[in-house]
Amino acid sequence: MQEPVLIKKKVCLLGSFNVGKTSLVRRFVYNVFDDLYLSTLGVKVSQKILPAIEKPDGTVVQYQLMIWDIEGQEKFTDYLPGYFTGSAGAVLAVDLTRKNSWTIIPDLMQRFKDINPEAAFVLAANKLDLLPEDHAHLKEIADFAKEINVSHWLTSAKTGHNVEHFFHDLASSF
Amino acid sequence: MEEAILNRISTHLNAAYACVSAERRVLQHNRLFDRLADKKSTNFIEDLIPELVGLEDILTEIATGRRNAYVLKYIQRQKADKTFYYNFHLVHGASPSCAVIFWAEDVTEQALERQELIQKKNEILLLQQLAASRSSIFSSSILGNSEPIRRLREMVQKISRISSTTVLLQGESGTGKNLVAKVLHYNSAQAHYPFVEINCAAIPESLLEAELFGYEKGAFTNAVTARAGLLEEAHQGTLFLDEIGELPLKLQAKLLSVLESKTFRRLGSNKPKEVDFRLIAATNRNLPDLVRKGEFREDLFYRLNVVTLHLPPLREMGKDVLIIADHFRQVFNLEFKKNIKGFSEEAQKALLQYHWPGNVRELSNCVERAMIFADGPLIKPDELLLQGVSKEETVFPVNFPEKGLNLQELEIKLINAALEKAKGNKTEAARLLGLTRDTLRYRMEKYGLKF
Repeated sequence: MQEPVLIKKKVCLLGSFNVGKTSLVRRFVYNVFDDLYLSTLGVKVSQKILPAIEKPDGTVVQYQLMIWDIEGQEKFTDYLPGYFTGSAGAVLAVDLTRKNSWTIIPDLMQRFKDINPEAAFVLAANKLDLLPEDHAHLKEIADFAKEINVSHWLTSAKTGHNVEHFFHDLASSF
Repeated sequence: MEEAILNRISTHLNAAYACVSAERRVLQHNRLFDRLADKKSTNFIEDLIPELVGLEDILTEIATGRRNAYVLKYIQRQKADKTFYYNFHLVHGASPSCAVIFWAEDVTEQALERQELIQKKNEILLLQQLAASRSSIFSSSILGNSEPIRRLREMVQKISRISSTTVLLQGESGTGKNLVAKVLHYNSAQAHYPFVEINCAAIPESLLEAELFGYEKGAFTNAVTARAGLLEEAHQGTLFLDEIGELPLKLQAKLLSVLESKTFRRLGSNKPKEVDFRLIAATNRNLPDLVRKGEFREDLFYRLNVVTLHLPPLREMGKDVLIIADHFRQVFNLEFKKNIKGFSEEAQKALLQYHWPGNVRELSNCVERAMIFADGPLIKPDELLLQGVSKEETVFPVNFPEKGLNLQELEIKLINAALEKAKGNKTEAARLLGLTRDTLRYRMEKYGLKF
């Protein structure tokens, strides 16, 4: 395989407060988890280089993700659009156990698209570890993902379940 | 000259700055900028300040003057376990050596205050969302499809809309009177006001009065401070008095007065206070009986008996037992972090055959216990640990013959069977038949039966 080209891509984590955006990033970048809930203010940018992949045209690329862990977007503050600019994609994060956290997603997605029309999206349905296998929300989140036309991953920042996968899934669509 | 001015401004503002060319290269910067920048072999601004990756177009726009400025607020940075916050500014520099001025203002102090506010706000929002979901959970939590439950659900829906109506809930112990009271409250217009409950049987009379009406400082020996009672706490919301049949007569009179005048006085006070709440009362006793015996005030009974809801016992709810049991299975799966998938066929049969004297409360305990001990994907009958009387043992089996039956003959047979079982003891035989001794004697004489 030829020497990969390193490409930096900006990715934002969007979603309501307390859905586990910071925990997902910490699990993905540092492989750690902390149960303590501390609201994020503003944004924290973390970086991670993904394994090299071969694109359909034969070029080998390696993405360096600049992951923007943005404060909960319950209220759309004036400085949020500044964070969104120049992103290649976004992770839409929701709390599987708290359906209220799903409701702001379509609006957030639209605002993000307005600034980044070509952006790719994945839905990370987090806190899977708190739900039993047959809980109704599991079916409902699949329907919700279909409704907003985004691929979805059932994730747990606590156990690490699917955390790598959804970031790789997002990068594969750049 | 430009550098000198920037240095003076940045020192004054305690800010990091850098001059960036139209090609996005950092041409000069102050010492504070070094602390912010990543160590890189290139001098491209986005390599040194990773938060600027993706903003290449914005940098070009600013360098060419098509845009004057761009701000990124509250950028978090971590240094030695401490969090710092910066506002990053990109400003048009208007000179080739400084096409873009980057400067970072330390806003940690202001940000930490804001963070604290956001933390509190989010915690409150979380609680509000929990309360709202609790309301929707309650509204869908009268489970079952049987006729008595459907009727109850319909009634509850209608009554919820009229939030001033006093409601009396009657039903055996464990039939879910508390749950229905909460459904009525959380589906009403007062859902955002308090739901205050008290079990009248659980507190001695002397304390119950103070609990309900509150007291002023010095009203009695231990009243060292004034305290609002539950009537005040329930203002604009709902007061749920469970086991109202146990309310002492003296307090019944006081409660009636509150309901009629919408005012009361705290113990030790002469000042009347106005209150407005919906009263929901519940009992498993027969209030008209208590009225007849003089244990419950007739006037209060009529005041409470505006709308009465009868909660069916579980044994009359047929297959609803399985629906409710499955609901508890889901609840305890969450609580115990288990993944029990359901009940085996035999376990379902056992649930349907059992008499459930403790009603839904007993069913909940039964499922909880079974889920603690269950070691397979399905709950088995022996894990239910059902003891006591089954429904079949309590219901007399009746098989109608093809040609029909003769009621008189059947009655004679029943009387004989009861006398036989009671070994000729007429009092016991009468009890078995649900008759008084005199009625049994009359019927024996009527049919010429001797024992």
